[in-house]
Amino acid sequence: MKLLDYLNDRLGFTNRHRRVMDRPVPAWINYFSCFGGITFTLFIVLVLTGLLLSVHYTPSEGEAYKSIQRLNGEAPLGLLLRGAHHWAANLMVVMIVLHMLRVFIAGAYKNPRELNWVAGSFLLLLTLGFGFTGYLLPWDQKAYWATVVGTNMIGSVPLAGHFLASFLRGGADVAGQTLLRFYSLHVLWLPMFTAFFLWLHFHVIRRVGISGGM
Amino acid sequence: MRIEEAKQKKFFPYFLFEITVAALFTVEAVLILAALFPPAIGREIDFSAQYSPRPEWYFLFLYQLTKYFPGRWTFVGAVLLPGLAFSVLLLAPFLDHGKETSLHRRRAAAVTGFGLLAAIVSLTILSLL
Repeated sequence: MKLLDYLNDRLGFTNRHRRVMDRPVPAWINYFSCFGGITFTLFIVLVLTGLLLSVHYTPSEGEAYKSIQRLNGEAPLGLLLRGAHHWAANLMVVMIVLHMLRVFIAGAYKNPRELNWVAGSFLLLLTLGFGFTGYLLPWDQKAYWATVVGTNMIGSVPLAGHFLASFLRGGADVAGQTLLRFYSLHVLWLPMFTAFFLWLHFHVIRRVGISGGM
Repeated sequence: MRIEEAKQKKFFPYFLFEITVAALFTVEAVLILAALFPPAIGREIDFSAQYSPRPEWYFLFLYQLTKYFPGRWTFVGAVLLPGLAFSVLLLAPFLDHGKETSLHRRRAAAVTGFGLLAAIVSLTILSLL
Protein backbone atom coordinates (compact mmCIF):
# COMPACT_ATOMS: atom_id res chain seq x y z
CA MET A 1 0.00 0.00 0.00
CA LYS A 2 2.98 2.29 0.57
CA LEU A 3 3.87 1.86 -3.07
CA LEU A 4 0.28 2.63 -4.10
CA ASP A 5 0.31 5.82 -1.98
CA TYR A 6 3.65 6.79 -3.43
CA LEU A 7 2.41 6.35 -7.01
CA ASN A 8 -0.91 8.01 -6.26
CA ASP A 9 0.84 11.05 -4.78
CA ARG A 10 2.78 11.52 -7.99
CA LEU A 11 0.29 10.32 -10.61
CA GLY A 12 -3.03 11.10 -8.88
CA PHE A 13 -4.94 8.20 -10.44
CA THR A 14 -7.57 7.86 -7.71
CA ASN A 15 -8.91 11.32 -8.57
CA ARG A 16 -9.26 10.38 -12.20
CA HIS A 17 -10.81 7.07 -11.26
CA ARG A 18 -13.34 8.84 -8.94
CA ARG A 19 -14.37 11.19 -11.71
CA VAL A 20 -15.34 8.25 -13.93
CA MET A 21 -16.70 5.85 -11.31
CA ASP A 22 -18.79 8.36 -9.34
CA ARG A 23 -20.15 10.02 -12.44
CA PRO A 24 -23.95 10.11 -12.27
CA VAL A 25 -25.84 8.34 -15.05
CA PRO A 26 -29.52 9.03 -15.83
CA ALA A 27 -31.80 6.23 -14.62
CA TRP A 28 -33.77 5.94 -17.92
CA ILE A 29 -30.71 4.57 -19.66
CA ASN A 30 -31.28 1.23 -21.49
CA TYR A 31 -29.54 -1.25 -23.76
CA PHE A 32 -29.98 1.00 -26.80
CA SER A 33 -27.32 3.20 -25.23
CA CYS A 34 -24.79 0.37 -25.51
CA PHE A 35 -23.96 0.69 -29.21
CA GLY A 36 -21.32 3.37 -28.76
CA GLY A 37 -19.58 1.37 -26.05
CA ILE A 38 -19.72 -1.79 -28.17
CA THR A 39 -18.20 0.16 -31.07
CA PHE A 40 -15.36 1.28 -28.81
CA THR A 41 -14.85 -2.29 -27.56
CA LEU A 42 -14.58 -3.44 -31.19
CA PHE A 43 -12.11 -0.63 -31.86
CA ILE A 44 -9.91 -1.90 -29.03
CA VAL A 45 -10.14 -5.46 -30.43
CA LEU A 46 -9.06 -4.04 -33.81
CA VAL A 47 -6.09 -2.19 -32.28
CA LEU A 48 -4.90 -5.29 -30.40
CA THR A 49 -5.35 -7.76 -33.28
CA GLY A 50 -3.88 -5.17 -35.68
CA LEU A 51 -0.76 -4.78 -33.52
CA LEU A 52 -0.27 -8.56 -33.55
CA LEU A 53 -0.99 -8.91 -37.29
CA SER A 54 1.57 -6.22 -38.11
CA VAL A 55 4.27 -8.48 -36.64
CA HIS A 56 3.78 -10.97 -39.50
CA TYR A 57 2.43 -8.91 -42.36
CA THR A 58 4.86 -7.60 -44.99
CA PRO A 59 3.56 -4.63 -47.00
CA SER A 60 5.41 -5.22 -50.25
CA GLU A 61 4.32 -6.23 -53.73
CA GLY A 62 6.23 -9.53 -53.66
CA GLU A 63 5.67 -10.49 -50.04
CA ALA A 64 2.20 -9.30 -49.00
CA TYR A 65 0.22 -12.22 -50.45
CA LYS A 66 2.73 -14.76 -49.13
CA SER A 67 2.69 -13.24 -45.64
CA ILE A 68 -1.12 -13.50 -45.55
CA GLN A 69 -0.83 -17.16 -46.59
CA ARG A 70 1.69 -17.68 -43.78
CA LEU A 71 -0.72 -15.99 -41.34
CA ASN A 72 -3.55 -18.26 -42.46
CA GLY A 73 -1.49 -21.43 -42.45
CA GLU A 74 1.61 -21.40 -40.29
CA ALA A 75 1.66 -18.53 -37.78
CA PRO A 76 0.31 -19.57 -34.37
CA LEU A 77 -3.29 -18.33 -34.02
CA GLY A 78 -2.74 -16.39 -37.27
CA LEU A 79 -6.05 -17.39 -38.81
CA LEU A 80 -7.96 -16.58 -35.61
CA LEU A 81 -6.27 -13.17 -35.44
CA ARG A 82 -7.18 -12.39 -39.04
CA GLY A 83 -10.70 -13.61 -38.38
CA ALA A 84 -11.09 -11.46 -35.28
CA HIS A 85 -9.74 -8.40 -37.12
CA HIS A 86 -12.07 -9.06 -40.07
CA TRP A 87 -15.20 -9.65 -38.00
CA ALA A 88 -14.56 -6.83 -35.52
CA ALA A 89 -14.22 -4.46 -38.50
CA ASN A 90 -17.49 -5.62 -40.05
CA LEU A 91 -19.39 -5.55 -36.76
CA MET A 92 -17.99 -2.08 -36.06
CA VAL A 93 -19.68 -0.65 -39.16
CA VAL A 94 -22.99 -2.21 -38.06
CA MET A 95 -22.64 -0.89 -34.51
CA ILE A 96 -21.76 2.63 -35.71
CA VAL A 97 -24.93 2.70 -37.80
CA LEU A 98 -27.04 1.54 -34.82
CA HIS A 99 -25.32 4.05 -32.52
CA MET A 100 -26.01 6.90 -34.96
CA LEU A 101 -29.63 5.81 -35.40
CA ARG A 102 -30.16 5.82 -31.63
CA VAL A 103 -28.65 9.30 -31.29
CA PHE A 104 -30.65 10.60 -34.28
CA ILE A 105 -33.99 9.19 -33.12
CA ALA A 106 -33.49 10.53 -29.57
CA GLY A 107 -32.41 13.93 -30.93
CA ALA A 108 -29.39 13.56 -28.64
CA TYR A 109 -27.15 15.61 -30.94
CA LYS A 110 -28.89 18.87 -30.07
CA ASN A 111 -27.40 21.79 -28.16
CA PRO A 112 -24.89 21.45 -26.43
CA ARG A 113 -23.80 18.20 -28.14
CA GLU A 114 -23.61 19.31 -31.80
CA LEU A 115 -19.84 19.05 -31.99
CA ASN A 116 -19.98 15.52 -30.62
CA TRP A 117 -22.07 14.51 -33.63
CA VAL A 118 -19.57 16.26 -35.93
CA ALA A 119 -16.67 14.35 -34.29
CA GLY A 120 -18.69 11.14 -34.66
CA SER A 121 -19.32 11.81 -38.36
CA PHE A 122 -15.58 12.16 -38.91
CA LEU A 123 -15.06 8.91 -36.99
CA LEU A 124 -17.52 7.23 -39.40
CA LEU A 125 -15.54 8.59 -42.35
CA LEU A 126 -12.27 7.38 -40.78
CA THR A 127 -13.80 3.92 -40.21
CA LEU A 128 -14.74 3.72 -43.89
CA GLY A 129 -11.18 4.83 -44.69
CA PHE A 130 -9.85 1.98 -42.54
CA GLY A 131 -12.13 -0.42 -44.42
CA PHE A 132 -11.04 0.84 -47.84
CA THR A 133 -7.29 0.81 -47.11
CA GLY A 134 -7.41 -2.48 -45.17
CA TYR A 135 -9.20 -4.26 -48.02
CA LEU A 136 -6.13 -3.86 -50.27
CA LEU A 137 -3.58 -5.26 -47.82
CA PRO A 138 -4.05 -9.02 -48.58
CA TRP A 139 -3.01 -8.05 -52.12
CA ASP A 140 -5.21 -10.61 -53.82
CA GLN A 141 -7.34 -10.38 -56.94
CA LYS A 142 -10.47 -8.91 -55.32
CA ALA A 143 -8.47 -6.44 -53.22
CA TYR A 144 -6.54 -5.21 -56.25
CA TRP A 145 -9.55 -4.61 -58.48
CA ALA A 146 -11.66 -3.05 -55.72
CA THR A 147 -8.86 -0.53 -55.18
CA VAL A 148 -8.60 0.15 -58.92
CA VAL A 149 -12.34 0.94 -58.96
CA GLY A 150 -12.19 2.94 -55.71
CA THR A 151 -9.27 5.12 -56.77
CA ASN A 152 -10.85 5.59 -60.22
CA MET A 153 -13.90 7.03 -58.44
CA ILE A 154 -11.69 9.57 -56.67
CA GLY A 155 -10.03 10.23 -60.03
CA SER A 156 -13.38 11.30 -61.48
CA VAL A 157 -13.31 14.62 -59.58
CA PRO A 158 -13.12 17.46 -62.15
CA LEU A 159 -9.71 19.21 -62.41
CA ALA A 160 -8.15 17.81 -59.20
CA GLY A 161 -9.13 14.17 -59.83
CA HIS A 162 -6.03 13.10 -61.71
CA PHE A 163 -3.78 14.56 -59.03
CA LEU A 164 -5.80 13.07 -56.13
CA ALA A 165 -5.88 9.58 -57.65
CA SER A 166 -2.15 9.48 -58.44
CA PHE A 167 -1.38 10.95 -55.01
CA LEU A 168 -3.33 8.13 -53.37
CA ARG A 169 -1.82 5.45 -55.64
CA GLY A 170 1.71 6.79 -55.54
CA GLY A 171 1.80 6.59 -59.33
CA ALA A 172 -0.36 6.26 -62.41
CA ASP A 173 -1.56 2.72 -61.56
CA VAL A 174 -2.34 0.64 -58.49
CA ALA A 175 1.01 -1.03 -57.77
CA GLY A 176 3.46 -1.84 -54.98
CA GLN A 177 3.72 1.85 -54.11
CA THR A 178 -0.07 1.94 -53.55
CA LEU A 179 0.16 -1.02 -51.18
CA LEU A 180 2.80 0.74 -49.08
CA ARG A 181 0.77 3.96 -49.08
CA PHE A 182 -2.42 2.20 -48.01
CA TYR A 183 -0.51 0.34 -45.30
CA SER A 184 0.89 3.62 -44.00
CA LEU A 185 -2.60 5.17 -43.99
CA HIS A 186 -4.09 2.09 -42.33
CA VAL A 187 -1.60 1.77 -39.47
CA LEU A 188 -0.26 5.32 -38.95
CA TRP A 189 -2.27 8.20 -40.41
CA LEU A 190 -5.84 7.00 -39.88
CA PRO A 191 -5.19 5.79 -36.27
CA MET A 192 -3.65 9.18 -35.46
CA PHE A 193 -6.71 11.12 -36.66
CA THR A 194 -9.01 8.54 -35.03
CA ALA A 195 -7.26 9.04 -31.68
CA PHE A 196 -7.92 12.78 -31.90
CA PHE A 197 -11.60 12.50 -32.80
CA LEU A 198 -12.14 9.73 -30.22
CA TRP A 199 -10.66 11.97 -27.56
CA LEU A 200 -12.99 14.80 -28.66
CA HIS A 201 -15.97 12.41 -28.73
CA PHE A 202 -15.35 11.24 -25.15
CA HIS A 203 -14.31 14.66 -23.89
CA VAL A 204 -17.66 16.25 -24.81
CA ILE A 205 -19.60 13.39 -23.21
CA ARG A 206 -17.54 13.70 -20.02
CA ARG A 207 -18.10 17.44 -20.00
CA VAL A 208 -21.85 17.60 -20.62
CA GLY A 209 -23.00 14.03 -19.90
CA ILE A 210 -25.42 11.78 -21.77
CA SER A 211 -28.46 13.65 -23.11
CA GLY A 212 -31.75 13.40 -21.24
CA GLY A 213 -32.14 13.77 -17.48
CA MET A 214 -28.80 15.38 -16.79
CA MET B 1 -32.39 16.82 -4.01
CA ARG B 2 -34.15 13.53 -3.25
CA ILE B 3 -35.88 13.55 -6.64
CA GLU B 4 -32.58 14.27 -8.33
CA GLU B 5 -30.99 11.33 -6.58
CA ALA B 6 -33.85 9.02 -7.49
CA LYS B 7 -33.46 9.91 -11.18
CA GLN B 8 -29.73 9.38 -11.25
CA LYS B 9 -27.52 6.48 -10.38
CA LYS B 10 -23.78 6.35 -10.01
CA PHE B 11 -21.73 4.81 -12.79
CA PHE B 12 -20.17 2.44 -10.24
CA PRO B 13 -21.43 -0.20 -9.58
CA TYR B 14 -24.70 -0.11 -11.56
CA PHE B 15 -23.44 0.54 -15.05
CA LEU B 16 -19.87 -0.65 -14.78
CA PHE B 17 -21.25 -4.18 -14.42
CA GLU B 18 -23.55 -3.93 -17.43
CA ILE B 19 -20.88 -2.34 -19.59
CA THR B 20 -18.41 -5.08 -18.67
CA VAL B 21 -20.96 -7.73 -19.63
CA ALA B 22 -21.66 -5.99 -22.96
CA ALA B 23 -17.91 -5.74 -23.69
CA LEU B 24 -17.37 -9.42 -22.87
CA PHE B 25 -20.26 -10.47 -25.13
CA THR B 26 -18.82 -8.34 -27.91
CA VAL B 27 -15.37 -9.94 -27.70
CA GLU B 28 -16.98 -13.37 -27.48
CA ALA B 29 -19.13 -12.74 -30.57
CA VAL B 30 -16.02 -11.66 -32.51
CA LEU B 31 -14.08 -14.77 -31.46
CA ILE B 32 -16.97 -17.12 -32.28
CA LEU B 33 -17.47 -15.55 -35.73
CA ALA B 34 -13.70 -15.66 -36.34
CA ALA B 35 -13.55 -19.36 -35.40
CA LEU B 36 -16.65 -20.38 -37.39
CA PHE B 37 -16.14 -18.19 -40.48
CA PRO B 38 -12.41 -17.59 -40.97
CA PRO B 39 -11.56 -15.07 -43.71
CA ALA B 40 -10.52 -16.66 -47.00
CA ILE B 41 -7.66 -15.44 -49.14
CA GLY B 42 -8.60 -14.57 -52.71
CA ARG B 43 -6.70 -15.66 -55.77
CA GLU B 44 -3.31 -14.19 -56.51
CA ILE B 45 -3.37 -11.04 -58.65
CA ASP B 46 -3.65 -11.98 -62.31
CA PHE B 47 -3.81 -9.10 -64.76
CA SER B 48 -4.86 -11.28 -67.69
CA ALA B 49 -7.88 -12.84 -65.96
CA GLN B 50 -11.34 -11.32 -66.36
CA TYR B 51 -12.50 -10.04 -63.02
CA SER B 52 -15.49 -8.00 -61.90
CA PRO B 53 -14.55 -6.27 -58.65
CA ARG B 54 -16.72 -6.56 -55.57
CA PRO B 55 -16.12 -4.14 -52.70
CA GLU B 56 -16.92 -4.70 -49.02
CA TRP B 57 -20.66 -4.84 -48.32
CA TYR B 58 -20.69 -1.34 -46.81
CA PHE B 59 -19.37 0.16 -50.05
CA LEU B 60 -21.86 -1.68 -52.28
CA PHE B 61 -24.33 1.26 -52.30
CA LEU B 62 -21.60 3.55 -53.63
CA TYR B 63 -20.60 1.00 -56.26
CA GLN B 64 -24.23 0.66 -57.34
CA LEU B 65 -24.72 4.44 -57.45
CA THR B 66 -21.80 4.92 -59.87
CA LYS B 67 -23.47 2.49 -62.31
CA TYR B 68 -26.19 5.07 -62.95
CA PHE B 69 -23.66 7.72 -63.96
CA PRO B 70 -21.50 6.35 -66.77
CA GLY B 71 -18.70 8.12 -68.62
CA ARG B 72 -18.10 11.76 -67.90
CA TRP B 73 -20.88 11.83 -65.30
CA THR B 74 -19.11 9.33 -63.01
CA PHE B 75 -18.16 12.24 -60.80
CA VAL B 76 -21.80 12.86 -59.84
CA GLY B 77 -22.38 9.32 -58.53
CA ALA B 78 -18.88 8.74 -57.16
CA VAL B 79 -18.18 12.02 -55.38
CA LEU B 80 -20.89 14.69 -55.64
CA LEU B 81 -23.96 12.81 -54.32
CA PRO B 82 -22.07 10.93 -51.57
CA GLY B 83 -20.38 14.21 -50.63
CA LEU B 84 -23.74 15.98 -50.36
CA ALA B 85 -25.17 13.11 -48.29
CA PHE B 86 -22.20 13.25 -45.94
CA SER B 87 -22.53 17.05 -45.61
CA VAL B 88 -26.18 16.66 -44.59
CA LEU B 89 -25.11 14.00 -42.05
CA LEU B 90 -22.27 16.15 -40.70
CA LEU B 91 -24.50 19.23 -40.35
CA ALA B 92 -27.55 17.34 -39.02
CA PRO B 93 -27.56 18.99 -35.55
CA PHE B 94 -27.40 22.45 -37.15
CA LEU B 95 -30.07 21.73 -39.78
CA ASP B 96 -32.31 19.99 -37.22
CA HIS B 97 -31.93 22.70 -34.57
CA GLY B 98 -34.51 23.76 -31.98
CA LYS B 99 -35.22 22.23 -28.62
CA GLU B 100 -37.70 19.56 -29.73
CA THR B 101 -36.25 16.05 -29.31
CA SER B 102 -39.23 13.76 -29.99
CA LEU B 103 -39.00 12.41 -33.52
CA HIS B 104 -42.65 12.73 -34.59
CA ARG B 105 -42.43 16.47 -34.02
CA ARG B 106 -39.19 16.69 -36.07
CA ARG B 107 -40.86 15.70 -39.34
CA ALA B 108 -38.32 17.23 -41.74
CA ALA B 109 -35.43 15.61 -39.91
CA ALA B 110 -37.20 12.24 -39.78
CA VAL B 111 -37.99 12.29 -43.52
CA THR B 112 -34.42 13.32 -44.43
CA GLY B 113 -32.73 10.87 -42.08
CA PHE B 114 -34.81 7.81 -42.89
CA GLY B 115 -34.89 8.81 -46.58
CA LEU B 116 -31.09 8.71 -46.65
CA LEU B 117 -31.06 5.38 -44.84
CA ALA B 118 -33.70 3.92 -47.19
CA ALA B 119 -31.70 5.10 -50.23
CA ILE B 120 -28.51 3.44 -48.97
CA VAL B 121 -30.31 0.21 -48.06
CA SER B 122 -32.13 0.04 -51.45
CA LEU B 123 -28.92 0.67 -53.39
CA THR B 124 -27.20 -2.08 -51.40
CA ILE B 125 -30.05 -4.52 -52.13
CA LEU B 126 -30.03 -3.54 -55.84
CA SER B 127 -26.31 -4.27 -56.05
CA LEU B 128 -26.86 -7.74 -54.59
CA LEU B 129 -29.59 -8.69 -57.09
